[in-house]
This record gives sequence, structure tokens and C-alpha cells, in this order.
Amino acid sequence: MQFWDNIVNTAMIGTDKKQVSAAELPADLAEPVTVIYNNDQADKEQKFLQLAAVAFNFRQTGVTALQKEVSISPAPDEEKAYCSIVAAQTLKDILSEESIPLLKFWLQHCDRKQQVIIPETLPALLGIGTQNKNLQVLIASCCGKRGEWLSGFNEAWNFSSTQTGEELWQTGTPDQRKIIFKETRKINPTLAREWLQQTWPQEDANTKTGFLELLPENISEEDIAFLDSLSTEKSKKVKEEAIRLLKQIPGSAIVKQYQELLQQCVMIKKEKTLLGMVSKTSLQFKLPPSFDETIFKTGIEKLSSSKEISDEEFIIYQLIQSAPPSFWQNQLERDPETVIDLFQKDTAGKKMIPALVSAITRFRDTSWAQHFMQHSETFYIDIIPLLQVQQQEAYSNKFFDKYPDNIIQYATQRETEWSVELSKNIFKHTAKNPYQYNRSFYNQHIHLIPGSAIAELEKCTPAEENLRNTWSNTSDYIIKLITLKIQTLKAFNS
Amino acid sequence: MNLSEDQILTLAPDESSKKSGKDLANPAKWVSKGVNEEALWGECQGSGSKPYQTQIDIVNIAFKCSCPSRKFPCKHGLGLLLLYARQKNIFTAHELPAWVKDWLSKRTEKQDKQAEKKDKPVDEAAQAKRQQARQSKVSDGIEELIVWVKDIIRNGIMNMPEKGPAFFENMARRMVDAQAPGLAGMIRTLGETNFYTEGWPTQFMDQLLRIYLVMEGYKNSPALNEPLQQDIRTWIGFTQNQEELKEQKGITDTWLVISKQSIEEDAITTERTWLYGTQTNRYALLLQFIVRGQGIQHNLTPGMFVQAELVFFPSASPLRAIIKRQLSTSAVYQFNKFENWEQVAETESQLNSQLPFRSERPFIIEQLKPVLYNKQWWLQDTANRLMQLKNEYKSIWKLLSLSGGNPSDMAVIGKEDQYEPVGIWQQDEYKTL
Repeated sequence: MQFWDNIVNTAMIGTDKKQVSAAELPADLAEPVTVIYNNDQADKEQKFLQLAAVAFNFRQTGVTALQKEVSISPAPDEEKAYCSIVAAQTLKDILSEESIPLLKFWLQHCDRKQQVIIPETLPALLGIGTQNKNLQVLIASCCGKRGEWLSGFNEAWNFSSTQTGEELWQTGTPDQRKIIFKETRKINPTLAREWLQQTWPQEDANTKTGFLELLPENISEEDIAFLDSLSTEKSKKVKEEAIRLLKQIPGSAIVKQYQELLQQCVMIKKEKTLLGMVSKTSLQFKLPPSFDETIFKTGIEKLSSSKEISDEEFIIYQLIQSAPPSFWQNQLERDPETVIDLFQKDTAGKKMIPALVSAITRFRDTSWAQHFMQHSETFYIDIIPLLQVQQQEAYSNKFFDKYPDNIIQYATQRETEWSVELSKNIFKHTAKNPYQYNRSFYNQHIHLIPGSAIAELEKCTPAEENLRNTWSNTSDYIIKLITLKIQTLKAFNS
Repeated sequence: MNLSEDQILTLAPDESSKKSGKDLANPAKWVSKGVNEEALWGECQGSGSKPYQTQIDIVNIAFKCSCPSRKFPCKHGLGLLLLYARQKNIFTAHELPAWVKDWLSKRTEKQDKQAEKKDKPVDEAAQAKRQQARQSKVSDGIEELIVWVKDIIRNGIMNMPEKGPAFFENMARRMVDAQAPGLAGMIRTLGETNFYTEGWPTQFMDQLLRIYLVMEGYKNSPALNEPLQQDIRTWIGFTQNQEELKEQKGITDTWLVISKQSIEEDAITTERTWLYGTQTNRYALLLQFIVRGQGIQHNLTPGMFVQAELVFFPSASPLRAIIKRQLSTSAVYQFNKFENWEQVAETESQLNSQLPFRSERPFIIEQLKPVLYNKQWWLQDTANRLMQLKNEYKSIWKLLSLSGGNPSDMAVIGKEDQYEPVGIWQQDEYKTL
């Protein structure tokens, strides 16, 4: 609109320096413009304001919409069914509570039922996906065809496009690649490793380390060749990470090397006591006079930093940490129960027990974990995640009062719901420690709390007057979240 | 009364009320609950020994609760409405308890008393004297403002961004002193021009010219028709006595609530509710100023149909209205819509010729679809004509996801060449954006 630009340009520099001429205004306005110009009583500012007011009005009345043949292709029809109204309403409530675990819970159910969310909620959900990368695959699936179509207009939402895992691995952002790698490693560890091997030469050292850090998931002898080949890598970090991983595989050369050395270090010693009347079996921990010193290049330290453990013991301690627990059954020709007993009864062996525990967790030896729990004099909390759920529950409840924070920490890493008893223990402890375990703690772990735990909340009210009010608020909040969880279950199972 | 959960939640005064309201939409929280054609009521067990008595007038949508909350409606009112929306069948009591009966009859009494109040004699001579004194003050103020505006124009608006807020605020205060609060507000708006955007000179000039037109219009009032004079008086800041207005005959129709927008400033919430008369084909704007802690006159929520008698404020292009009487509510599915942007532009031009300094208006338009052109979103009508969406339109993603890129009937608010969609019809259901 040239005439309006002329008005604005004159206004910018002021009527002291410039006037608007009749020629600068539309011919349609000739009549009022002439009247204004011919008004001798008006000064130049007044004339300009009047002309501008006429032009302003002319501009506002003369609007015509732009004629253009543009179009966007409409969203394709959904292939899956929409979720129910109740489920959609529950989703809205979950979104307003901003509980990501609850949202994940809802999405998992929606995905399992092969349903999609109603269009109204798409922008909110896609927005959450940009912040919570681990939800992206679920969100993309639950947003359906319309979500995929919508994300075509917003780059930040492009995770919603239904690319295959391999496409995502090859062309995705670093975060997307990590997520898909992690997931594939869970389901198909060989495929994940093959993907990594294919793109390995193109990755930089940091990315390589990042992916290696995800390899412990389902690590096996199949990975040895690949990890061994990394000994020629330029990056020190990559090499160290590869060695760390090899130490977790029972069949790797490095573990075998440690085992061979351990065979010479740890032996059963039979002694006669009480004038040869009683025979006593004990363990001997002693390094051979000479051994392959290349072990010191694989992360084994030579010097102990503790006064209670000698340098020799410390080297053996580190070797034990990297030997699969089953090794001891062969080496000492005893069953696990007796091996544990031998270690416990021996002065030097006792010092080695934490190394044994470390090996159990490193090699995720669930059978040894159980033996250890049953026969150990001391409770080793690190073993809890290796036990069966029921045993985890039993030990968590048994030792809860002694190690509440550690047990809560392991409990939060579980994928299965807590029992009512464990929930109750956790409620009681958290009620007394409201600053450490606030509403956000429950917001993060609500997926683990069973619906039937609601009945226990009131019973967990702390005796201290000052804590009661906070607990009352927290338990209201827990009830709200659990209710949403129950509603989600009902909505998808009805 | 058939309100959806979303509609009920838009009645909430804030986010925390929404959350608390949802928590209370739980049958376990209510000791008693009942409904009949007049009211919805329930007793909610709170932290005190006695349950809170919550009651809702469902004809005029009004709330009352015995809880101490200053929020309006309180969480109990919202919770009860939500519960009713979710589980109507559990509202088994139908006979009004005494406390609900009392409240409903008090509401009727209050209305009668208000009618009585109107009968008080008014000292007309004193009133006329006060009016004259004010008019003279306003005229003096306007003379001062004209000099200020001319100064701006003489020196050019180029240096306006450097002037700072005090330059505008001082003149706004002069207008308050001159008893022209409307002009004061217009000057503040002028000072709030976003000088960091590319098109600020046009934005600034539009507002400056509006001020100029109002001033000149006031000076030339005698030559103008009565409704236009009223418009000018309103823009200057003369108030219209709403009680007097209510005595006039209004327009009864089933009104669809198109949109509700709230702005909070200096502890006062201004609520703008846009309505469309389904039979009279008229649009209306209800303005409600809510001071925190005080009750509100009406609770309308987008998508709701209200049968009511509305009285419009006198204007060359009547839009603002007040509710004189509210009757029962029921849904209407057939009504007129604008066919395309050309019709909207024609209406706009016509309205503009009657009132050249107007605010935005709503329009319900058939079959619009969002399209992307020149990296901007537009609304395309069936004749392939495009109208640009308002700058920084926040609900574009919701609009896209609801429409799926298909044409839908839409309610928009705007003027000239920019509009903002506020609602969209999907299978006869109105969804707010």
C-alpha cells in the first residue's frame, strides 16, 4: 500500500520537513483531500492528521483477501483406532500433573492396545517429546498418522516421523541414534553391534565412547572380536572403555589372563592343628614369584591405597573383581556355598569378599547372587538387583531399617511394581524425610507404586507433629497420581 | 445443562483451582449430592468438622459455597460440576435442601431489591451541573492533547522509541486529571507500541490516528448522530449506567459463547466474552471486570449455549452488551455463517464506515483451512482467498492438529487483514483453540 507508506514516511520525519501531496494519495480520495487542502484555518499538522485519518479509514475498508492457489496436503487417515474418551481425559489429567513416568505408563498402554491419541492433545505431547527423548518412540507411535503429518511442519517434532530403526540409526540426531541403539541392544544385541561396526570408521572418538558405554546391555562373547579390534584405536578413552567392557565378558582374553594368574595365586591350603589331630582348610592368597606383567597395562594398579590391604593382596583383589564367580567353583573344586564359607573364615579371604561381590554384580551372576545372599554373614546391598523380584522384596524389607536410602535407590531402578509392604516401608521412611523425598520423588516413581498401596498411606503418618502436615499433602498427591494410574488401566482394559 | 470437562475447567479462576477442582470430582469427597432443574448442590467433606455446602444455580450459572476461599468459583464448585459432568447418575437427590432453597430465594430477592433501588429519586439539576463541569474539563484536556499530538507530528515519530514511558505516562495522567480516562488508556496503549518490531510506525500511527479521531469527533459531537456520539463518549471514558441500560428492551436469543479471554492487570481481571446470537445473527461482547475476591456477574464458558436477553450499549456499530436476563440453556446446531473472506471484508467496510475507530470483532466463517504461504500461516476460504493469521498466533498447532489440514467452520476474532481463530467445529462440536 504505497499511499499508506507515504503517510508513514511523512510521519517519520515530521511535517516540519515534509508534507504529503495529493499525488501521494489514492485518486479515490481526491474529494476529501481537496477539502482538507483548501481549509485555510487548519495548520499543516492538522491537515496531515486529517489526511492520515482519511487514508487510515480508506486502508481499513479496502481490504481484499489474497487470491492464491496454495494448499497443504491434508493429514492421512489413521490406521489405528482412537483411544476412548475416558483414556483421552485421563491423558489430559496426566499432562496437567506433569508426571513423565505416568505419561510413559499411559503411552505404553495406548501403544500396546494399538491405539492413537485424539488430535487435540498432539501438540502438547509432541512438545513433551522434544524434552524427553526416551519417550519419543512411544509418542511417535501414539500420535499416529496425524502426528506424523503435523510434525512435518515443525522441525523440532521430526522424531515423530515413522522411520525404521535402521534409518534412524543412520540418519538420526546423536540423541536419537543413542536411543535406538540402546533399544536395539536390548532386543537384538548382535544387530546393534553390527550397526555400530558398520558406522564405526565415520564416528568421532566421543561418539564412539558414548556408544561403547551403552554396550554392557546384553554384552556377550559375540562382542569380543569387535572389542579386541579396538586395541588399535587412536583414542585412549575408547581403548580404556573397550578394556573395561572386555573385563565384563567371561571368555575374553583379558579375563582368561586374570583367571590364569588367579589359579596360581589363590589355593586351598590344608593345615593340621592340635598336634595333627584336626585338619583345617584355609585359603592362600599369594602372587607367584614371576608373572606376566602386561596385566598392569590393563588397568590393574600395583599399589594399594589402604593400610589394611597389602600391595600383593590389592593386586589379587583387583583380579578377583574381574573373574567370573563360577571360576571359583572350578578353581577350588567346591560348591558356591563352601567357597563363600572359605572366604568368610579366612582372614585374607574376608578382605576379598567385596571383590567377590563386585564380580557377582559385574558379571550379573544371579545364581551366585542368591548363594551369596543366603550364606553371607554380611548383607551386601549391591546384590539386590540381581535377585529375583520376590527375593529382592524379601531382602529389601528385611534390611530396610538398616539401609533405607540404598534400598529405596535400588527399588527405584526396578521395572516391576513394588509390593504393598515395600511401598509401606518406603512411605514410612519418606514421611520422616520430607526434604529428601518430596512430591517430585513420587512424581518420578509413581509407576512403581501399586494401586492397593493407597490404603497404607494414612497408616504411615509420622508421629512427629511437624511432619504430619507435609505427609498429608504428599499422600494426597500420591493418591492423585495412583488414581490416574488406575484410571489409565481401566481405560485401556475396559 | 450439558458442559464438557474442558468447558467447566475454563470457568476456573486459575491453574491451581483447576487441579484442586479435578481432585474434588471424586464421589468419595461428597457427603451428599443432588440436582434438579434449578440447581446442583452437594456437601463436601473438607478439613473442618462440618462439610462445605456447595451450590450452583444451573439456570444462570452462579456458584455459592460455605468454604472460606476467596476464589470464584471455588474448587468445590468446580469439583461438583466436574463430578456431575462425569457421573450424572450418582446425583440421586432431587428435592432442594433448605440451604439451597434459601440461597435461590435470596438471589431472587436481591434482584427485586436492585429493581427497587432504581426507583430512588435523582437530583437531576445537580447531576446536570456535574456533567457540564466534566465536559468542560474534558474539552480542556482534549485541547492540551491536540497540542501534544501535533508536536509529535511536527517533529516526526522517528524519535518516539527513545522517548521512554514517562513521555506517554505524563500525558496519560493529564487526561486522568481531565476526567477522560478512556483517552488516558489510549495514550498508554500508544506508549506500549512495540518499537522493536519492524512495522512499529504503522502500529504507532494507527493508534495516534484513533486518538485524533476520538478527539476531533468529540469536538464535532453536535454534528454527529446519537449512536456515534455515544461511541465517542465511551472512548473518552464516560461510563454508561448499566442499570439504566438494563431497563431498556433487549434482544433475546440463544447465544453461543465463542470465546473468553482474560487479562489480569493491577489486580483487576478483565474478562472479554464473545457471543454469537444464533437466531438474530448478531455478535456481542460482554465485558466483566473482576476485582480479586469479589463475585462475578456471569459464568460463561466457550462452546456453551445461553438463552438470554442482551442489551447492547448504544453505538454506531453495536457490539458491547450486558446480560439483562438469563434463561435456561440448550444447544443449537443450525445458524448463519459468513461464506468467505469477501463477505467478511464487505461487512468490515460497512462497519468501518459507521465507526472508523473500532476494536476487533468476531466472525464465524464457513470452511476455512490453514495453509502455509511465504513461510506464514493463512486461512484459506472456499474461493481460495487467503487471510493472514494474527502475528504470534499461539494456537496454530492445535488448529492444525484438530483440522488435519481440512476445511472446517471456524470462529475468528480480528479486523482489517489479520484474524485469530478462537474455535473450530468438528462434527458439530465446538472446540476452543
